[in-house]
Amino acid sequence: MQHRKKHVPIIIGLLALLLVILLLIGIGIGAVWIPPGEVLSLIKSGLNASSSGYSGQMLSHYIIIWSIRFPRVLLGAMVGICLSVAGAIFQGLFRNPMADPYVIGVSSGAALGAVAAILLLGNLGIRYSYSIPAFAFVCAILTILLVYNLARTGGKVPVMTLLLAGIAVNSFLSALQSLAMFYSGDQLHQVVFWLMGGFSSRGWEYIGMFMPYAVIGTAIAFLYTRELNGMLIGEEQAQHLGIDVERVKIILLVAAALLIGASVSVSGLIGFVGLIIPHVVRLIIGPDHRVLLPMVALTGAIFMVGADIIARTVIAPEELPVGVVTALIGGPFFIYLLRKQKTTLYK
Amino acid sequence: MILNVLGVTCGYGSSAVLSDATLQVSKGELLGIVGPNGSGKSTLLKAMSRVLPPRHGQVLLQEEDIYKMRPARVARRLAVVPQEAGLDFPFTVEDIVMMGRIPHLKRFQREGPRDREIVQEAMRRTNTLDLAQRLVTELSGGEKQRVLIARALAQEPQVLFLDEPTSSLDLNHQIEIMELLNKLRFAEGLTAVMVVHDLNLASQYCDKLLVLKNGRIYTAGPPAEVLTEELIREVYGCEVRIEKRYPGGRPMLFIQPLNHRHNTSHYRVHVVGGGGSCGLLFHYLQELGWEVSTGVINIGDSDWQEARRLGFSVVEAPPFSEIGPEEDQLNRQAMLQADYIILPPIPFGSGNLPNLKAVLEMAELGAPVIVIDERDIAERDYTGGEACEIYRKLLKSRIYLVENAEQAMAVMERGAEWVDK
Repeated sequence: MQHRKKHVPIIIGLLALLLVILLLIGIGIGAVWIPPGEVLSLIKSGLNASSSGYSGQMLSHYIIIWSIRFPRVLLGAMVGICLSVAGAIFQGLFRNPMADPYVIGVSSGAALGAVAAILLLGNLGIRYSYSIPAFAFVCAILTILLVYNLARTGGKVPVMTLLLAGIAVNSFLSALQSLAMFYSGDQLHQVVFWLMGGFSSRGWEYIGMFMPYAVIGTAIAFLYTRELNGMLIGEEQAQHLGIDVERVKIILLVAAALLIGASVSVSGLIGFVGLIIPHVVRLIIGPDHRVLLPMVALTGAIFMVGADIIARTVIAPEELPVGVVTALIGGPFFIYLLRKQKTTLYK
Repeated sequence: MILNVLGVTCGYGSSAVLSDATLQVSKGELLGIVGPNGSGKSTLLKAMSRVLPPRHGQVLLQEEDIYKMRPARVARRLAVVPQEAGLDFPFTVEDIVMMGRIPHLKRFQREGPRDREIVQEAMRRTNTLDLAQRLVTELSGGEKQRVLIARALAQEPQVLFLDEPTSSLDLNHQIEIMELLNKLRFAEGLTAVMVVHDLNLASQYCDKLLVLKNGRIYTAGPPAEVLTEELIREVYGCEVRIEKRYPGGRPMLFIQPLNHRHNTSHYRVHVVGGGGSCGLLFHYLQELGWEVSTGVINIGDSDWQEARRLGFSVVEAPPFSEIGPEEDQLNRQAMLQADYIILPPIPFGSGNLPNLKAVLEMAELGAPVIVIDERDIAERDYTGGEACEIYRKLLKSRIYLVENAEQAMAVMERGAEWVDK
């Protein structure tokens, strides 16, 4: 354990390097391959907001990268961070490796909120994009409270009741969502396109509406790593250590709802990231959230950028929804976890 | 008073698990909470540690209501060593002990050199320094317990609550922990409240005992006053014998058998004791609940002492004197009333030869006599051959002949076949 901790800075450095490489590949790849060196210099001039001096092919490369691919890949990385950090929060708070925003229905809650925003505000003719995250956040937090209280028995949240409550709430919310889509009329196409989950044609305005929620949510999580460690050894013991358990729970659940609301608003439903990433990282580095959380964030970003690259390349020039890719990896992993749990839970 | 519990009533659901508990703990005191399972010991501890808000009443820590204090403020003064470890995640021991510093750290503050020093010291005291880099998931129950105590000490508390701190520990670690608590309270004025199962441990180390029964405080006070045979009978519903090593000393409990044969006069046994050779036999008879008489024994003989201690009826003769006709008569009466007569391998001299003669007569009358022929009679005959002669006659009559105390017990418990010699 300790020897692993000594290697933490090295591991984090390597992960950061890997992320940068993947970002460059992610930006470079597409109908036109742009090599990493050119990507770097184009991004540099983009940051200086100077496209002058470019013409012809360079100018079109600049536009492709700066307006289309860079925001899209960046958003993917950030959504990866948000989903996996939210997963780590849930797993720590519920002391339960199966707690994942998608599995326990919180993502569906956020999605319903987002659909409601598109339909209600869209029909009223209001420019709605910036209110989608707010709607998604509110619905996410309501869903968390609902599932948590349904699953809670005798002060504990057992795996099975949590999963069952998640399934029940999930299907109910999906039904509501279908109902909303049934009555959506002209906006159906927009809703469906958005729900599929993915990052295609997400430009800077998405990053704009996403950032405030993501930054606040991530910051809260990183400030409460000590408390998360305390919660992991049991609520009563956490209380003995001077942690205001009920307050911390609410703060962290709000943080998780912010992260999920933001992610779902910009990229729809992308499942299993919050399940796989924290779990795998915990197996490698141990449960200490002070180390776990930064690693989870980096790994989540890497995973999401990678999944997006796969989604864009396997059937190019067509594009798979990235949610399909994560589900194809995550589904089997979830089954593996469930089987592993079975041996320890039902002895 | 560092801790004041005023009329606290607690319960889960509709029923009260703890009713109207009032107690005071003064600085430096070691208070033991005892009582049978389900008497509300852990509930009281939870109510006092800000985990289970009482329905009525107050818990004051240094005159402040703990349920109105911020948790961190409570945790800087009061640490709890929980009963179930719950250390299911692979943190290192050092990580866990460092968690004791949480209440002292501000939100943006990281652990500094002082915190690390305190953690080292807490681990040194609890003998867990060697474990510092081990994962808590790999520790034994006793090691986990010591780690949890180290974590509690890292909180630098003034009051320490322990929920059965020694129940999973080996004897040596039990003593270590109790002595550590003693050292801490004498050297630093630490106040400790602990739930204990082991009444002897509680008696030996606690200044005061609080006895709970059915969710109420039954009595409280120093162990010497509280721990009586009556109290154990009333609270625990069982019989124990309580002795003190010296007057006013700490009481010690000895377990008595649950006298399931108490009312039947059928199972009586007479042991021809003397010479300190009956200790083990007495022990077995008492454990198995036989009604025992013994004699004739000289007063002061170690068998006499043991028989008196165990509450047997003893036919006794004055110290170092021969058995007189009166004592012999009483002894024969006791033999006649018994279902079995046991003759252990005792030495014979002229003083107790009447005992042997009486046994022979009983055997010849047809009474069930068990002879434990463990040592050659010649070796323990101090009468110049007279005892040997009687003993040989005895062996020729209808008796149970066995080799040791265990076989004698087997004869009595199972009713073995007659052994003809």
